[in-house]
Amino acid sequence: MRRGEDNALRNVGRLFVALWRLVRGEDQRGRKVKWLVSQLRPYRGRVALMFVGLLAATAAGLAPPYLAGRAIDSGIQTGDVAALDLIVIAFVAVAIIYAAATYLQTYMVGWVGTRVLQDLRQRVFAHLQSMSIGFFTRRSPGVLISRMTNDIEALNQLVTDGVVTIFSSTLTLLGVVVILLVLDVQLALVVFLTFPLLLIASVIFRIVSHGAYRATRERIAAITAYLQESLSGVRVVRSFGQEPRHVDEMTELNEANRAVNMKTVYLNASYFPAVELLAAVATGVILVYGGGLAIDREIQIGVIVAFVGYLTTFFEPIQQLSQLYTTYQQGMAALDKIFDLLDTAPDMVDAPEAIDPGTLRGEIELDGVWFSYKEAAEPGEDVWALRDVDLHVPPGQTLALVGATGAGKSTFAKLVARFYDPQQGRVLVDGHDLRGVQQRALRRQLGIVPQEGFLFSGSVRENVAFGRPEASLEEIEAAIATVGATAFVEALPDGIETEVGERGIQLSAGQRQLVAFARALLAEPRILILDEATSNVDVRTEKTIEKGLERLLQGRTAIVIAHRLSTIRRAGKIVVLADGGIAEQGTHDELIAAGGPYSKLYGAWSESSVA
Amino acid sequence: MRTYRRLMGFLRPYRFQLWGSLAFAWAAMGMTVAIPWLIGRAINAIVEYDKPDLLPLALAIFAAAILRLGLTVVRRLVAGKVSLAVEFDLRQVFYAHLQRLELGFFDGQQTGQLMSRATVDLGAIRFFLGYGLIFITQNLLTIVLASAVMFVIDPVLALLALAPAPLIVYAASRYNRVSRPAQQEVQQRIAELTAEAEENVSGIRIVKAFAREEYQLHRFQRAVSRVFDQSIYATRLQAFFSPLIGLLPQIGIALVLLVGGRQVINDNLSLGDFTAFYTYLVMLAGPLRMLGVAMGMAQRAIASGNRLFEILDREPRIESPPGAPALPAGGGRVQLRDVTLRYAGVDAGAEREGALPALSEVSLEVEAGRTVALVGPSGSGKTSLVALIARLYDPDQGTVFVDGVDVREVDVPSLRSEIAFVADDSFLFTASVAENIAYARADASLEEIEAAARRAQADAFIRALPDGYETRVGERGLTLSGGQRQRVAIARALLADPRILILDDATSSVDATTEVAIKEGLQEAMAGRTTFIIAHRLSTVSLADEIVVVDGGRIVDRGTHAELMEGCGFYREIAEHGLADSVFLQRDLEAREEMARL
Repeated sequence: MRRGEDNALRNVGRLFVALWRLVRGEDQRGRKVKWLVSQLRPYRGRVALMFVGLLAATAAGLAPPYLAGRAIDSGIQTGDVAALDLIVIAFVAVAIIYAAATYLQTYMVGWVGTRVLQDLRQRVFAHLQSMSIGFFTRRSPGVLISRMTNDIEALNQLVTDGVVTIFSSTLTLLGVVVILLVLDVQLALVVFLTFPLLLIASVIFRIVSHGAYRATRERIAAITAYLQESLSGVRVVRSFGQEPRHVDEMTELNEANRAVNMKTVYLNASYFPAVELLAAVATGVILVYGGGLAIDREIQIGVIVAFVGYLTTFFEPIQQLSQLYTTYQQGMAALDKIFDLLDTAPDMVDAPEAIDPGTLRGEIELDGVWFSYKEAAEPGEDVWALRDVDLHVPPGQTLALVGATGAGKSTFAKLVARFYDPQQGRVLVDGHDLRGVQQRALRRQLGIVPQEGFLFSGSVRENVAFGRPEASLEEIEAAIATVGATAFVEALPDGIETEVGERGIQLSAGQRQLVAFARALLAEPRILILDEATSNVDVRTEKTIEKGLERLLQGRTAIVIAHRLSTIRRAGKIVVLADGGIAEQGTHDELIAAGGPYSKLYGAWSESSVA
Repeated sequence: MRTYRRLMGFLRPYRFQLWGSLAFAWAAMGMTVAIPWLIGRAINAIVEYDKPDLLPLALAIFAAAILRLGLTVVRRLVAGKVSLAVEFDLRQVFYAHLQRLELGFFDGQQTGQLMSRATVDLGAIRFFLGYGLIFITQNLLTIVLASAVMFVIDPVLALLALAPAPLIVYAASRYNRVSRPAQQEVQQRIAELTAEAEENVSGIRIVKAFAREEYQLHRFQRAVSRVFDQSIYATRLQAFFSPLIGLLPQIGIALVLLVGGRQVINDNLSLGDFTAFYTYLVMLAGPLRMLGVAMGMAQRAIASGNRLFEILDREPRIESPPGAPALPAGGGRVQLRDVTLRYAGVDAGAEREGALPALSEVSLEVEAGRTVALVGPSGSGKTSLVALIARLYDPDQGTVFVDGVDVREVDVPSLRSEIAFVADDSFLFTASVAENIAYARADASLEEIEAAARRAQADAFIRALPDGYETRVGERGLTLSGGQRQRVAIARALLADPRILILDDATSSVDATTEVAIKEGLQEAMAGRTTFIIAHRLSTVSLADEIVVVDGGRIVDRGTHAELMEGCGFYREIAEHGLADSVFLQRDLEAREEMARL
C-alpha cells in the first residue's frame, strides 16, 4: 500500500510537471499540442462560446449554496420578506443560467472536439492515400487502421472530457475555496483538512482500479473472442461432437472473468463508502466547530448551511481531477502515434518535371532491371526478387508469365504498374522511363485484375464503375455483358444495384472475378495486368470466365500471371521465370519444340490429366 | 411482464443474498435520511439555546456515518457478488444452449446477431438484475423515507418541494432510454468507419492501380460525417437532458426557500426544520435521477430479455433420443435410403419458398472400407450428402443408416466420434497445434499426437514452428498456410481414429510438394476406413475405388474414372474443364523446381 501511495502522489506530480513542460514548450509534445490547438482556428467563434458557457456554468453552479445561506441570514433570520423574495428570484435565475450555460458548453465542446478530430481523421486518411505501396507492405494494416480509429477516439476523450474537466473542476475548486474563505476563514481551513485525504484516496483508487478495469476489459474481450470462434467453428464442433468440452472451456473463461470483476467490486465497495464517510465526518466537523462559532455569534447560521451545501461541490471536482492523468497519458500517446504517421513524408512522389505521356500505345520494356523488396540491398545478397531482367513487349501483345511461387511473377507486374521502382535498370512504357511519368497519368491507363478479385462494399454498378465513375449505365452494362457477367448480375436480388458487401463477400469467388474483369474493361486500359485466379469455381462459371478473359485481352497489351493452360496457349509470348530471372521465352509451340523446362512440364501435365 | 418474471427467475438461486443486500441497503438509507434530520436538530439547538451541547449530535452524525459505511460496504460486496453470479449464470445458460442447438440453426443466423445477444443483451440484463433492482428499491426507499420525514415536518411544504420530483424521474428515464440507442448508433457508425478504413488499406493496390485516391477519400469523408452527425445528435441529447435534470431539483429548493422562509419568519416552522428540508432536497436530487436511470435500464433489460429468450426457447432439433444405445460396432457401412433434404431458414433471399431441395430422393450404399469420390459442380449437394452421415442435419424424408442402424436412433456423440471430417477450409481453434490435433481426444498422449502428425505429413513443418507442437495457431494465433492447416486437420481426424472419414478436398491452398505429401498422408489415413472424398481434382479422384457424380441434389451416375469418361458426358465435361488440373501446370512446375533444388 505504501508503494501505491508513493506512486499515486508521484503520478499527480507528474501530471503537473507534464502540463508545465507542455505550457513552456519544452518537449516535442508542445509542438504537437500547439498544432492541435491551431486546428481550432476555423472554429474560434464556437470555442469562444464554449468558454463563455463553461465560465458561466461554473460560476452559476457555485452560487446556490451561498444564496441559500444568504436567504437564511439576510431574509429569514432578519424577517425581511422582500430580501427573501429577491434572493429566491436570484436563486431561480442562477439555476436557469446554469442550465442554459451547461447546454451551451456541452454542445460546443462536443461539436468542436468532434469536428476537429474528424478533420484529423480525414487528414490521416488523405495522408495514407498519398503513400506508396511499399509503405503499406512494411506496416501491418491493423496499426494503420487504429491510427484512424482507436487513436482518434483516445484523443477525443482527452479533448472533450479532459479540457472540460481541467477547466471546470479547477475553477469550481478555486471558486469553492475562495467562497469558503470569504464566508469564514477558520471554518474554511478546518474543512480544507479533508482535502488531502480525499485526494489521496481518489488517486489511489483511480490507479489501482485502472489496472483492475483493464483486466476486466481483457477478460471480457477473451470471452467475446472465444464465443466468436466457437460460432465460426461450429461445424467442426458439431462434427467432432465436442460440445461438452467447449462448455467447459467457456466455464473457465467465465470464472476468470468473475474473478477479475470481483476485484473491482472490492475496490468500489471500499472507495465510494469511504468518500461518503469522509463527507459525513466533514459535515459533523462543520456542525460542531461552526456551531461553536455560531453560538459565540462569530458566524451566522446561514454560513453553516452554505458550508454543508458546498461540501458536495467540493468533493466532486477532486474526484474528477484524479481521473485526468490516465486520460492525459492515453490521449498524448495517441497524439504521438498520429504524428509519427503524419510526419512520414510520402515516398515516390512525382518529380516536378514528370510528364503526362498522353494515350499510350502500350509498349513495355524492361532494361537491366534489378529489384529487391529490401530497400538497401547489396548485389551479393540473396534478396533479389528480379535479377537483371531484359524484356520487350510490343503493343497489343499478351505476355504470359509462368513460374513457381516466388519466381518473381507478381514483382514483374508490380514494377510495370510502378508500385515500386527498381534499384537498378529501367522500366519503360512507350519509351518513357516510368520515373519521369506522372503516376496517375500512367495508372489511369492501366487495368489491374488481382487474383482474389478484390471488391469494395457498394453496389455491383459502383464496383464496375470504380475506375471511371462518370461512366453511363449503358456503358457499365455493356462492360458487364462483354465479360459475360450479365446472366449472374441479373439473377442477383437487386440486379446491378445489389450490394456486394465488405470486400465483395456476398458474391462467390468466380462472380467477384467477373466483376473485376468488367471493372478493368470499363476503365479502357491500354495495358492490362492480370493475376489469374486459381481458386476453384464450378464448370459453368469457369467457362464464362474463360470467355470474359478472351474479350478483356483483345486489342491491348497484357501481362498475365497465368495459371490456366488455355490462357498460356493463347499468349503471344510465354516467359518462364525462375529465381528472379527469365529461364526461357517464346510461344507455346516454340517452347514445346525447344524441349526446355516448359515442354517437360507440359508433357508431364498431359500424362497426368489422362491418367 | 412475462419476460420480466422470467428474468427474475435468474435471481432465484440468490434470493437470500438479495434480500440480505436489500436489508443492508435499506438500513444504510435509513442512516442517510437520519443525517439531515440530525443537522436540523443541531441548527435548532444553535438557534434556541444559549450554550447548547453540540457534541452529542455531531457524534450521532458520526456514528450514523460509520454505521452507513459498514452497511454500504457489506451491501456492495453482496450485491456485487450476486450481480457477477447472475452474469456468470446467464452466460453459461446461453452458451450451453448454443452448444445444444443443431448446425441447421446456425445456418440461418448471422454470427453478428448471436454475438450481440451474448454481449449487448446479456450486459443489459445483468446490469438490471445485478444493480438496477437494488438501485430502484434503494432509491425508492430513500425517496419514500425522506418524503415521509418531510411530510411529518410540514405536509404542505413537502408537497410543494416534491412537486418537480416526478418530472425528474421522467426526464432521467427518458434520457436513459433515448441516449443509449443514440450512443450505440455512434459506436455502430464508428464500426462502419473502421470497416471503411480497413477495406481501403487492404485494397490499397486497387485504389492505386485505378488512381482512385480522391474517390476513396470522398467515401471516407462520408463515413466520417456519418459519425459526426450521430455524435452531435448524442451530444445534443446530453446537452439538453443533463442540465434539465439538474435544473428541476433547484426549482423545488427555490420553492422551499420562498415558502418555507416565510413560514420561518411567521414562526410556523423552526429554522432547524427548514434546514433539514433544504438538506433533504439537495440530497434527493441524486436518488430521483438514479430512479429514472434504473427505470430506463429496466425497459432495456426487458427488450434484451425478449431477444435472449428467443434463442433460449428455440429447442434443439437434433438430439439423442432418451436412453439411446451407442452406435453398434461395425466397419463403417453407410446407406442412404430415399433421402431428401431441404435447408430451412437459410438467410432470406438466397433460399426462396419452393426452392429446390439440397438433396432429392438420394439412395446410396457404400460398403465398409470403400473409398468413394463425390464429384459435381458447387451447390450440387456433395457437402449436404456427407453432413447427413454424421447427422449434422436430419433429412426431411428418407433414412440414413450407419452399420445398419438408423442414425436417429443412436446416441449422437457415439455416432459422431466414429466419423471425422477434414473440411475444405480447415478450421483450427486458437490453441496449440498439439491441442488442435487432440481436439477429438483430449486424453491423447504427446506420442500419439506426434504419431498422427507424422502420418498426416505434418510433423516436419510443426517442428519448424516457433514453439513446435506448443505453437498457438488459429484465428488469434499464428496463421498457418492452407496446406499446413489441412494437414493439421488430417492429423486431427486420424487421431480420432474414426470408422468413417470425410475429406473435403482443399483446392487452391496447397503447393505442389506438399500436395504429393498430402496425397501420401491421405492414402495412409484412408486405410481400413470407409472414406468419402469431395474431390475437386483428378489426382484425388484417382484415390477412390468409385466415383459418384452429383448434380442438382441427385446422383446422376457412378462408376470408375474410365467407365465414366466413356459413358457419362457430364462427368467428362467436369473432368476436362471443372477439375482444376489446368492449375496443375503451375504446381508441377513448382514441384519440379523444388526437386531440382534438393
